[in-house]
Amino acid sequence: MTILCVRFQLPPMHEAALPGLLGLLEEFTPVVEALPPDGALADLHGAERYFGRDAVALASVIRVRSLALYGVDCAIGAGPGPMLARVALGDARPGVTCAVPEDAVGEFLADRPVTALPGVGTATARTLCEYGLDTLGRVAAAPLSTLQRLVGAKTGRELHEKANGVDRGRVVPNAVSRSLVTERPFTRDELDPDRHRRALLSAAEELGARLRALDKVCRTLTLTVRYADLPHSRTGSSGGTSISTTRTRTLGEPTAHSVALTKAAYGMYEALGLQRARVRALVLRAEGLDPAEQASHQLTFDPLDEKARRIEEVADRARAKFGPHAVMPGSLAA
Amino acid sequence: MPGFTHLHTVSGFSLRYGASHPERLAERASERGLDALALTDRDTLAGAVRFTKACAKAGVRPLFGVELAVAELEPVRREKRRAPVRGGIFIDESTPRVTFLARDGAHGWADLCRIVTAAQAAGESPPLLPWNDNRGAGLTVLLGPDSDVGRALAAGRPDRAAKLLAPWREVYGDALRLETVWHGRKGTGPGSLRLAARTVGFAAEQRVRPVLSNAVRYADPGQGPVADVLDAARRLVPVDPTKGLDSGEAWLKDAGAMLHTAERIVEAAGYRRDTAHRLLEQTQATAAECLVDPEDDLGIGTVHFPEPHLVGAGRRTAQRTLASRAAAGMVLRGYSEKRAYWERMHRELDIIAHHGFASYFLTVAQVVDDVRKMGIRVAARGSGAGSLVNHLLGIAHADPVEHGLLMERFLSKRRLVLPDIDIDVESARRLEVYRAIIGRFGTERVATVAMPETYRVRHAIRDVGAALSMDPADIDRIAKSFPHIRARDARAALDELPELRQLAGEKEKYGRLWELTEALDALPRGVAMHPCGVLLSDASLLSRTPVMPTSGEGFPMSQFDKDDVEDLGLLKLDVLGVRMQSAMAHAVAEMERATGERVDLDAVPPGDPATYQLIRSTETLGCFQIESPGQRDLVGRLQPATFHDLVVDISLFRPGPVAADMVRPFIAARHGRAPVRYPHPDLEGPLKETYGVVVFHEQIIDIVHIMTGCGRDEADRVRRGLSDPESQGRIRVWFAQHAAAKGYEAETIRRTWEIVEAFGSYGFCKAHAVAFAVPTYQSAWLKAHHPAAFYAGLLTHDPGMYPKRLLLADARRRGVPILPLDVNKSGVAHRIELVSESGDSQRVWGLRLALSDVHGISEAEAARIADGQPYASLLDFWERARPSRPLAQRLAQVGALDAFGANRRDLQLHLTELHRGARGAGGGQLPLDGGRKTAPAGLPDLSSAERLSAELGVLSMDASRNLMDDHRAFLDELGVVSARRLRDARHGETVLVAGAKAATQTPPIRSGKRVIFSTLDDGTGLVDLAFFDDSHDACAHTVFHSWLLLVRGVVQRRGPRSLSVVGAAAWNLAELVELRAEGGLDVVAARLAEPLPEAGGDPTRGRRIQMPTGYEMHPWADLRPAGEEPAKTRKLWHQSPGSAG
Repeated sequence: MTILCVRFQLPPMHEAALPGLLGLLEEFTPVVEALPPDGALADLHGAERYFGRDAVALASVIRVRSLALYGVDCAIGAGPGPMLARVALGDARPGVTCAVPEDAVGEFLADRPVTALPGVGTATARTLCEYGLDTLGRVAAAPLSTLQRLVGAKTGRELHEKANGVDRGRVVPNAVSRSLVTERPFTRDELDPDRHRRALLSAAEELGARLRALDKVCRTLTLTVRYADLPHSRTGSSGGTSISTTRTRTLGEPTAHSVALTKAAYGMYEALGLQRARVRALVLRAEGLDPAEQASHQLTFDPLDEKARRIEEVADRARAKFGPHAVMPGSLAA
Repeated sequence: MPGFTHLHTVSGFSLRYGASHPERLAERASERGLDALALTDRDTLAGAVRFTKACAKAGVRPLFGVELAVAELEPVRREKRRAPVRGGIFIDESTPRVTFLARDGAHGWADLCRIVTAAQAAGESPPLLPWNDNRGAGLTVLLGPDSDVGRALAAGRPDRAAKLLAPWREVYGDALRLETVWHGRKGTGPGSLRLAARTVGFAAEQRVRPVLSNAVRYADPGQGPVADVLDAARRLVPVDPTKGLDSGEAWLKDAGAMLHTAERIVEAAGYRRDTAHRLLEQTQATAAECLVDPEDDLGIGTVHFPEPHLVGAGRRTAQRTLASRAAAGMVLRGYSEKRAYWERMHRELDIIAHHGFASYFLTVAQVVDDVRKMGIRVAARGSGAGSLVNHLLGIAHADPVEHGLLMERFLSKRRLVLPDIDIDVESARRLEVYRAIIGRFGTERVATVAMPETYRVRHAIRDVGAALSMDPADIDRIAKSFPHIRARDARAALDELPELRQLAGEKEKYGRLWELTEALDALPRGVAMHPCGVLLSDASLLSRTPVMPTSGEGFPMSQFDKDDVEDLGLLKLDVLGVRMQSAMAHAVAEMERATGERVDLDAVPPGDPATYQLIRSTETLGCFQIESPGQRDLVGRLQPATFHDLVVDISLFRPGPVAADMVRPFIAARHGRAPVRYPHPDLEGPLKETYGVVVFHEQIIDIVHIMTGCGRDEADRVRRGLSDPESQGRIRVWFAQHAAAKGYEAETIRRTWEIVEAFGSYGFCKAHAVAFAVPTYQSAWLKAHHPAAFYAGLLTHDPGMYPKRLLLADARRRGVPILPLDVNKSGVAHRIELVSESGDSQRVWGLRLALSDVHGISEAEAARIADGQPYASLLDFWERARPSRPLAQRLAQVGALDAFGANRRDLQLHLTELHRGARGAGGGQLPLDGGRKTAPAGLPDLSSAERLSAELGVLSMDASRNLMDDHRAFLDELGVVSARRLRDARHGETVLVAGAKAATQTPPIRSGKRVIFSTLDDGTGLVDLAFFDDSHDACAHTVFHSWLLLVRGVVQRRGPRSLSVVGAAAWNLAELVELRAEGGLDVVAARLAEPLPEAGGDPTRGRRIQMPTGYEMHPWADLRPAGEEPAKTRKLWHQSPGSAG
């Protein structure tokens, strides 16, 4: 009963507040693992004795401090291991901390859907449900060999252990490694490639500016195109999430340079070859963030690249002084 | 001021392009003082006939033309674009389009038909006219802004335009015109002033005459947004307001506005303003040259039969051949001794000769002979069965003399319309019949008939919603809430229909959706092959009708629909595919396969007591014509005992007789509760068979004939006149005079007239009813004596109105064992199997479900599985039957693989691994244990509910047990009365009933109210429900949109076997079941305690539709209601999280 899993109720686009909140947790224990975009795991082994309270009581303290200091509410799950803490979080609400009883882990898990386990995504869950293994209890009861035949040797073994409540995970302290996301929705079904490219340009510009503001570089860029169409199977019912296409590209070198990001985004977009697709939103995500000082940069003899970077630097300073819209690419100004 | 003629006008028949109906265009032309109007639809002449008729009515001279995409002389190379990952490629509309007008009478029309046929021949979309076919001496060609020449001009390349003009000039010479259009657009593109001016200048330079047009797409100003929606629907993209909206100018402008346009164009081209008159004069002159007369040149009003030598006449005339064949038939059928038959035959032959229709009869006889030779069941239906000649030629089965059928009902000297003989064939082999007809007469004489699919409310909402970029989930929900009504009624339905009340609340949210939806009303959105019409003509067919290949089978199809072809004097033979014929053929074939004995259905003993007992018990599900809830009720009251009773029963169950309430007096007289009365003893002859009640057309003909002595042919004409209120008055006077002259008393005349008038034009042609009653009796006989084979046929060919699962429930009730799907035993179609045998008479046959009912199985897969039987093991099955993985999984889910051991989930896992192994991933462990059985893998087996769910999902049938059985305990808690126990319920008792909905209708009824009729199946039988309009607010939505229903209602009894429940409240049973499972009875009680929606007044405020026959109809009756068709329901009431698939 020593690991907490905390999810802060951050408003979207406010991920930047996460480092501060992690600092709050670090006041209790040095073993804190960030779960971007809005969560964290904290190992309270030492803290329980130090503070003289058990983990559930400490959870209340954390919530109070988070509310008082940052105005951010949070939900907390507690368990003997990180996996169980995360499962417990599924049941927790702000103010109601859910704790996994150490002696009845099996019963706690038995009735839960397989998706409650961290690491079981939609694909694995679909496979398991197809074969009637829709609750963790049933997964635990299935022979290990059968599970391995279903989802592969390694995943099967892990699944089997997790479903039986064996939690081998540890909390590994890490820096806030996370991603930056920006979305460009359209008000109607948009087919015009020019407007798509403008949206991509502005998204890449924004990402670059935010990265540079954080002194970070990113290694990969992901483009998600959301369409108006519904998945075929869902047209029957009213509702359902819209379908999308996702493409990821690893950049030649880690960078925060807007021009490089834009080029990568355009490349991914062109490769889709969209014509009649009804695009509802374009989402750009910068992943694999590292501190800027660790990034290497291939110098060239071409002065253009150097110039572009210098202009960008100046533009950043102008924006810092006169607001984010002070300087922008010409095609976005129209 | 010179007049003006629009030479370039498209109607709604230009699919997803034109926004106005041809009738509207003709009306507007007349209103705006235009004397002539051309119809130049895109790729089609389908609107020509309607346009012609509308023009005749409006007093406008019609011109005919077509707008086609023409292949370029030198094909341009297009860059190949990357295939999109999503959404598909753009619809390519870049081919230049040119307008062709028929100039030279019949030649012009024939040329027009020929180029349209040539453009459509390749079956491409959009149709493309190859350059080699781009010629025609009778055509005038307009090269407009969309032509290659116009595009070169728009691109500022007059040099290139001149080069492109040369080949056109070479082919069409003096018949070439340059079309100039100004729609007030900017730039130099189509519709811009600069392009219009360039065109005029270029025409002067090249010495080609220019004409002015407005490229009309819609009749009235303000319809631009509709054109935008149509463009979006055609290109499959949303409307983009930032570019490319319709100019709003392409309407049918009057001469003054066009003069103004002409002035602007010539001024821009650098001429004096009065040159505009010259441009208009050129346009008028071009219009004046186009002379195609609808009567003479299109062939309206003349008849063309196939040449006599093709129908076996050899060198003799068709009439003599017909006479000798009829005489041969007399001998063959053993009538040669009977004088009456000879007389009647000669009289009929006289009439046929009078009209010159002999080839027609020979043609039909030829078709019927060919069909019969192929071993396909064939029967004539309709009034043609009343002709002895048809009977003698083998077209009709029933002997018209014996059944008292009249030739005059079919054809007489005074009837000028083409007679029609319809033939019924097995539906499954209908296309074979078509191929045989085409093979016999050749593609130059045969074509199928088109059937335009028009926008109704649901499609209109979908297309408009997509064009307006609405959320697809919203579009789907809105479209599905509507019953299948006309698009133009969308807003009225929102205001008036109780089941749409919730949607009406959010009406404002969707802005222009409703208005645009209504604007699409009845515009054609596609064209399909008419399911039964076949055109037969002489070799000139292709110069009178444009023909296109059908998409699936590649049959030649005329672009005209069934009404048009009649107007054009083309002979249409209706070949109807009747599923019941296929079902009975399958049943007979199954019996022969299983038992070796062949049953000849056409020779089953008449008057079989078991058959009539079955019919009287009203358990007639699946029997031809008598299975609907209304018919079961009628059969219960009528209690038929003879073939004649069946004929009467079928005739009575028509909207007319039901509305005129002829049913009640007939039944009273039949059961002796009311005396049989005749207005005059002379009329006893025709009326005796129906207890003095008029049921058949033939009886009216006889009554009028007897009372006035006018002859039966005249009497038939009188009968037709009765449906028209205007002529009815005249007939009344005429009838009174002539009857009085024959010496009948005034009182008798008055009473007879009352009967004749009340009958109006309702009732039924007895010839038709006799033709119908034959398969009715045959199917009932099969059901009574060979139930397993009967159900096998029914389920295989799926006739009738009920979902398959209901037929299965009926089979279960009648004690036919249902054998589950099994890959080692099931065939492609449903089969019968001997279940137990104790003595020869005690054989029990079971029904083995078919592979073809598995969701998503292809014909080839089913055949492969059936051919490879038996299979020794799962591996054997996988390797030899080679099912696709999803199919194999489905088969495992429904237990078709149970024979291979292990539970169904284990089987699924093995199948997945076999699939992986087959893809070359390399098999790890062998999934098989000892070769035959499959080793268990320890997965949990499907639960009982999951099995049922899988059966519904895969087979659409609850094959192992009735799905209502699972709820029996809950229904008992509620005190629900089962269908079986309901039979003993008292009249007026309030009961609760429950079941799965089988069929829902809102037919037109006499009271002019909207009544929802529904049938529930609860496993023990059927419950027929009626909801009257006072309960609609509370029930309509639930009844239409739920599948499992719980209904409170009052029992209505009208006879020993006639029983229905009048619903007062309805709940979605699936919801209650779930509440019961989750929260127990208290939660259910809370749900039941929720108040039902208050009943408002009549929202239609008494609006009624006056039917031509005189009675009133509720405006929203007679529609296919909203909600899923029960037959399509593949889901159980809920999908449990663990359910397979």
